[in-house]
Amino acid sequence: MDKKIRIALAGNPNSGKTTLFNKLTGSNQFVGNWPGVTVEKKEGRLIVDKDVILTDLPGIYSLSPYTLEEVVARNYLIEEKPDAILNIVDATNLERNLYLTTQLTELGIPVVIALNMMDLVRRAGDSINVRELSKQLGCKIVEISALKGDGVEDAARTAIDAAKNGKTIPQHRFSGPVEHALAHIEEVTVHDLPEERQRWYAIKLFERDEKVMESLHLSDEVKAHIERDIQAAEKELDDDAESIITNERYVCIGELLKGIYKKKGKGQLSVSDKIDRIVTNRVLALPIFVLVMWLVYALSMGAPIGGGGISIGTALTDWTNDVLGGAWLQEGSRALLESWNVAPWLVGLISDGILAGVGAVLGFVPQMLVLFLLLCILEDCGYMARIAFIMDRIFRKFGLSGKSFIPMLVGTGCGVPGVMATRTIENERDRRMTIMTTTFIPCGAKMPIIGLIAGALFGGSTWVATSAYFIGIAAIVLSGIMLKKTKMFAGDPAPFVMELPPYHLPAWSNVLRGAWERGWSFIKRAGTVIVVSSIVIWFLTGFGFVNGKFGMVKDLYKDESLVNDAYTAQVAERMGIPEDEVEPMDDSLLARIAQPVSIIFKPLGFGDWKPTAATVTGLVAKEEVVANFGIMYAYDDKDGEEELEENGNQIWDRVAEDFNAFSGGHGKLAAYAFMIFNLLCAPCFAAIGAIKREMNSRKWTWFAIGYQCCFAWVMAFIVWQLGRTFAGGMSAVGLTLALVMLALILWQLFKPYQEAQKLTVK
Amino acid sequence: MFVWLSANLINIALVAVITLIVGLLLRGMIRDKKTGRSSCGGNCAGCASCVRCERETLHKSPRAF
Repeated sequence: MDKKIRIALAGNPNSGKTTLFNKLTGSNQFVGNWPGVTVEKKEGRLIVDKDVILTDLPGIYSLSPYTLEEVVARNYLIEEKPDAILNIVDATNLERNLYLTTQLTELGIPVVIALNMMDLVRRAGDSINVRELSKQLGCKIVEISALKGDGVEDAARTAIDAAKNGKTIPQHRFSGPVEHALAHIEEVTVHDLPEERQRWYAIKLFERDEKVMESLHLSDEVKAHIERDIQAAEKELDDDAESIITNERYVCIGELLKGIYKKKGKGQLSVSDKIDRIVTNRVLALPIFVLVMWLVYALSMGAPIGGGGISIGTALTDWTNDVLGGAWLQEGSRALLESWNVAPWLVGLISDGILAGVGAVLGFVPQMLVLFLLLCILEDCGYMARIAFIMDRIFRKFGLSGKSFIPMLVGTGCGVPGVMATRTIENERDRRMTIMTTTFIPCGAKMPIIGLIAGALFGGSTWVATSAYFIGIAAIVLSGIMLKKTKMFAGDPAPFVMELPPYHLPAWSNVLRGAWERGWSFIKRAGTVIVVSSIVIWFLTGFGFVNGKFGMVKDLYKDESLVNDAYTAQVAERMGIPEDEVEPMDDSLLARIAQPVSIIFKPLGFGDWKPTAATVTGLVAKEEVVANFGIMYAYDDKDGEEELEENGNQIWDRVAEDFNAFSGGHGKLAAYAFMIFNLLCAPCFAAIGAIKREMNSRKWTWFAIGYQCCFAWVMAFIVWQLGRTFAGGMSAVGLTLALVMLALILWQLFKPYQEAQKLTVK
Repeated sequence: MFVWLSANLINIALVAVITLIVGLLLRGMIRDKKTGRSSCGGNCAGCASCVRCERETLHKSPRAF
């Protein structure tokens, strides 16, 4: 049997590695148009040859061991020794990309260069003498366009050939003093290592790479010997060893590119540069971002087409809720089950429990798919990378790094990968702070909450959904600024290097795959976690003790010997409602559990047991908030109707009625405070688990959860108290407390940031 | 007994089906939890840091060269 061939795919961040990996392996790994998408290596088998394993390494600029990505890539290349390296090089940024290539060719592993984005180079009128470049680098080069799939198969076959019988000998040479020192180091330290690797080890020792020194177990005598050689070179070139090698590499690349790379319009602005002059403009950048996001939410979650808006998503969601979920699924199933003479409680479990809960969540899938599709288009065309750049500019003013923005971009799909994406942040304090704030951004599971509030109480207003997104961003920025001014998180911002990819038309396969992956994750949760929890919620909502007797509350309330005037008065007092508003569900197990907890939310305007139960069960999964409403109001027959009309929207009308009732007529405001709290409070258990893993500390996990809940409570409190003051329902105590909290926040925000006065080097 | 069974056959069948579905869902969720894949319910292919979810990889996480 033939030995399996292993090929490593290496290259700079955002050079198209994952796109090429997907094309070559038929895989559907996530492709993001910003650096840091691949944190770990991923493996797949080549379509053209199933015996070849291709490993997608994280994007790196060099083989220095300074970032996690570099360590992962370097360890793989050195320890696992793949049979060949397919080095993807962005042809539009040749000089910088070849810096890594010069290092890869020194590893003693056959290297094949896939020169990506050659179509863009040609379109710009530039030219690259590929044959000469190949000769100068000592390895084969294949021109490709990973996005279009041009030349990718050829690149794979060339890499397989190189793995079988290829050899790459580095052609570049450094200046005399450096080569002299390297020769000495090779002679005294690495002569017993394989010949093809000796140069790489020698260079690393010259750079005083601690990890390589440790791995070679050098004696003190040898260390002292090579130190003398390094110092001699440093003295002669008047620089430190690491900078000398960096400089030498760029000199080599500069020499190498002379006559090979011809640029047509030197000094002229490219189309991307021209767009960036407007899009990343200091004044216009943020208004443009707000406008773009408003359009995204207007199309996905605003008022529907035919309802005075432009939203395709809402039109589809209305149909799903009204026809598919309401009339067909819920009522259809009820009619069918009743025609089979199924027991009423079982009909209730299936129609009012499972189908109402799951249906309430799935109803929002069309809105979410449209939203994800639009966000994926923005990511793929290169716009979102600009937003990270713009945010870095703003963050930096407050001592934060733009690196904290990347997890937020990832977190729009799900908070878990968002939390995990914080691993690229080296500074531990910044990383902890980013973990604590990443889940503020509305993830897919929170979208139904936004859709519910916008649809049921605001007539599908686009501003509700757009504001939810910006509340998330504002919460991250405000928390970042406030926390950074505390002793726990103080410190200089980490450097953030971000390359802005040229704008291009989105690759539809990437966009559709990205949108579907995020949407599918949502559907899958509805089909698993939500099904199970819907059954639990149905039981807790439908069963309870009425006047000491346990059973289905709806049935027990029909028994006049149990429910008399005195008992109704007792329930009304317990629930804090008028006697004529008492309903069977007020005696349900869920009502009895949630009612005492609802006191926490009274100052926020939604201190009723139903939103309380929805909020608390949202910890299981945020979709559960809407599923809970679906079950509670599907069950509810306070209108005197035994069953709901054939219209799922009736449920949402009842939600609106209830919000109006328990907030003293300020339903919209209470619902908005409810949305704010649910957006910003502790995330679902899965995300809390991710926070615990990433914090690696129980104390920090609890601190994060505590901070998120307190921050959410304070924000919702301020909005509710100030809002109702303007709406004519002022509470003097509430307003005073809200103003005190606001003043404290403003004080923390505007107190001067103390920059470190001395530089600390570890 | 037989009369009761025949009168409630459809109810018993439906309860059995629901119990089976819930059982399978719970088993899947517990299995995912044990293999460290329970984090988000999403497809790992759609995740930027998917390999990190695997506990084994997590422990091997290379910080040292």
